[in-house]
Amino acid sequence: MKINRREWIRLASLTGAALAAPRAFAQKPEPLFVEIPPSVSGITWVHENAMSPTRYLPETLGPGCAFLDFDNDGWMDIFLVNSGPSDFWKPSQPVRNALYKNNRDGTFTDVTAKAGVGGEYFGMGVAVGDYDNDGWPDLFVTAYGKCILYRNNHDGTFTDVTEKAGLATPGWTTSAVWFDYDGDGKLDLFICSFVDYSGVKKLECGSNQIGKNYYCVPRLFKPTASFLYHNNGDGTFTDVTKGTAIASALGKGLGVVATDINNDGRMDLFVANDTVQNFLFVNRGPGANGQWKWDEIALQAGVGFSEAGRPRSGMGVDAADLKGNGWQDLFVANVDHEFYSVYENNKDETFRDVAQGNGVARATRLMSGWGLKYFDYDNDGEIDLFLANGHPDDMIDSYSMQVKYREPLLLFHQGADHKLHDVSENAGPAFQRDYAARGLAVGDFDNDGALDVLVGNNGAAPLLLKNNAAKGNNWLGLKLEGVTSNRDAIGARISWEAGGKVRRMLKTSGGSYLSSHDPRVVLGIADATIVDAVEIHWPAPSKQVDRLTKVGPNRYIHVVEGKGIVASNDSHTQKSAGQANS
Amino acid sequence: MYKAILLLIASLSLVNFGVNALAQSAQLSPQALVQDAIEKQRAGDLEGAVTEYREFLKLHPEATAIHSNLGAALAGLGRFEEAVGEYKIALRQSPRLPGARLNLALAYYKMGRISDAATQLEKVHAEDPANHQAVLLLGDSYLRMGENKDVIRVLAPEEKKYPDDVAIAYMLGTAYIRNKQPELGQVLVDRILRNGDSAEAHLMLGTAKMGIQDYAGARDEFQKAVALNPNLPEVHGLYAQALHLTGDSDQSNKEFKAELANDPYNFAANLQLGANAREDENYDAAEQYFTRALATRPGDPGARYQLALIAIEKGKLDAARETLESLVKASPQFAEAHVSLSLVYYRLKRPADGKRERDIVQKLTADAQAKQPGVKQQ
Repeated sequence: MKINRREWIRLASLTGAALAAPRAFAQKPEPLFVEIPPSVSGITWVHENAMSPTRYLPETLGPGCAFLDFDNDGWMDIFLVNSGPSDFWKPSQPVRNALYKNNRDGTFTDVTAKAGVGGEYFGMGVAVGDYDNDGWPDLFVTAYGKCILYRNNHDGTFTDVTEKAGLATPGWTTSAVWFDYDGDGKLDLFICSFVDYSGVKKLECGSNQIGKNYYCVPRLFKPTASFLYHNNGDGTFTDVTKGTAIASALGKGLGVVATDINNDGRMDLFVANDTVQNFLFVNRGPGANGQWKWDEIALQAGVGFSEAGRPRSGMGVDAADLKGNGWQDLFVANVDHEFYSVYENNKDETFRDVAQGNGVARATRLMSGWGLKYFDYDNDGEIDLFLANGHPDDMIDSYSMQVKYREPLLLFHQGADHKLHDVSENAGPAFQRDYAARGLAVGDFDNDGALDVLVGNNGAAPLLLKNNAAKGNNWLGLKLEGVTSNRDAIGARISWEAGGKVRRMLKTSGGSYLSSHDPRVVLGIADATIVDAVEIHWPAPSKQVDRLTKVGPNRYIHVVEGKGIVASNDSHTQKSAGQANS
Repeated sequence: MYKAILLLIASLSLVNFGVNALAQSAQLSPQALVQDAIEKQRAGDLEGAVTEYREFLKLHPEATAIHSNLGAALAGLGRFEEAVGEYKIALRQSPRLPGARLNLALAYYKMGRISDAATQLEKVHAEDPANHQAVLLLGDSYLRMGENKDVIRVLAPEEKKYPDDVAIAYMLGTAYIRNKQPELGQVLVDRILRNGDSAEAHLMLGTAKMGIQDYAGARDEFQKAVALNPNLPEVHGLYAQALHLTGDSDQSNKEFKAELANDPYNFAANLQLGANAREDENYDAAEQYFTRALATRPGDPGARYQLALIAIEKGKLDAARETLESLVKASPQFAEAHVSLSLVYYRLKRPADGKRERDIVQKLTADAQAKQPGVKQQ
């Protein structure tokens, strides 16, 4: 289905108006996010969760989703992960992932078959990264069964290079993250491993309170070690897990984010585990024996357990400089009655959970959280928070008075008090409905500078939400391209000055749950009319700092390490406006 | 049935005045003062009685019975701390003074110091095994303390003597159920049920259903019990627990608060509301709840652990460390306490100790994982 841009805008606004009508009578504000239904977007793919009477656990954990520009046309495309054949399920009809090409008019076209990314196994999540630094995003799809690395062929097709790359990872993998842990300019890969689910054909957990099989609590299953692969730079990877703290930390990983919690310039890893403690792997650099050294410090850092010393059911995760103080804060979404955690960085490799003071604890008391993202949804320059929720047990409504299987989305806005405030009630009709949400990706699919949201729903169609909340605020979009540093510039530090305020951010990688975000960076500048300065500290091995001055807002600029702005998507680009490299 | 215990608590302080003993102890010159005090006490002028007893005791501090009478008057005024002091003086001077120990136990009971009450009641029971009222109170105290085996030890012989006493049947039946002896509990439940639909019967059935993790069934039984007798001890607290376990936290909290309105020292209510207050970062309120919980069950590891967590939040790391060290020494398998102790050691810049505790946590975690039943093999 293709329609022109004008028609799409008309339909989108009609949809929003129709959905918002009951609220209009109540004089509610305009929705912050508006659903773009499949009939408009053309995204008709539906997740098959393979739900069986036996209730095999993988059925309830997917799916992940991603925004990526696979064809490098400057418009975000969409990838959706599906289940598939496994040792407990043989689909009666073909089941496949979906790759949707952005038609640049708000509609998408399914190009999965041509791209060759339909998958063969019981898919879970996706991590997008340019591991071969060729300028084209590649896909790593995790699964129960076997992961797949799809290398981008630059022509709209992909090739499964998993075996050749040495990434044939066993077991049940969930979230994965591309990042450059050793600063050699090449993206390495960390893969979360969930539980030991071997011998699955024989598994069931007995009946629940209403006499039916239910999804086993992961506590029952043995924990496993996650995987760290080093990028050899020749299209292959080496498993470097052995002998590190990553190998000895047996967990049940579901979410991972790569960030730098101690500002030492090395990317660390925060892993959310289900029913066992979370892990915070701090990157200590090369050890004396030549092996990379990682310290697992979650307990002493105060992010491993609840304040009452209990492991929680960590699922979604993220990191961002919430208060703009130059230090990365963390977030973990847990299961109902465990509260989600807002971990504020104490700047000494410890954290304090401030979920209660932010109102996040109270709002999430009955929720189970998966996909999530810290981002500035209204471009006012402050980091906000978007949460996708849903209980893993599809029968929970039958024996819980308050907890529901399908749960609403939650949106928090950071106020002038630097606290997160729940604004879900006024965020739009999409926030009044309930979902079995899992993955969540953030990306600007219509290139208007307002970051949109894609939610992967278990056993249902994905939800595409167009962001209307940033209207009136100005912004600057950056597509960063590393040269000596990794091409995706993961680990870059960006500061920008506008309207008399200096703000900063770290380009993290991963986060959310099973999902991958738009790789571009949007800098919110509120009502400032020009960005006075942008400074980009490129990650190792580069020591390059690029400084751009007097940059016009409301456009995406393509910045190359050491070269400054090389392109802009806007005719108002001021290419000569005070670029300076240092 | 259970009203008998409540009436006993209300009345005992008045029936043990020991006027005869007073007449023997008091000197002639202040006798009028004492007689007047007694009359005032009988007439309900407790403040006046307290004043005159104290006047008298200035002259004759050795008057054992007057200390006991003063204790009773103070207890009548709700000044239990002072009453306990007077009873203790009386018992120090005359350990077998009639009624004084039972009154001391009652004062402790009303202060929520259930464990201290039980200690005194055990002595009363040893000295006077036929004292049915003391046995009832002792059984009730042990039930509140969660010492089900002691309830059975004390009340099982009593139940044989008083087979129609529904209060005994209720307490003993509850203890059997909680002690995982449902078949014995069922006999007593049936006896209560024969008397018709009663709050006690629903309470016991609910307790039995809790024991087999039928939380929804337990919730329904407790709800009926609340409707039939909202003043039944523990009824709101148990209903609250069932509501909590079936996911209705809001109503659960309301019921816990209702329980505390009936019994400010209910252990479970104080523990849960304290935990809620701590999660809400209302640490002062949380401390009050946990302190009251500890008054009912001194040394309870859960309540002490919660107080240690509050100490951590308040930055009182050494105080937290002391409590946690004591807890893990007494309960080496208390994984949460090891987690918190490790954290405290690291914050106190004692990384070697922190690592040691962390290693213990990892071992306990691995041991717990190894004990998981796994999954049923088809």
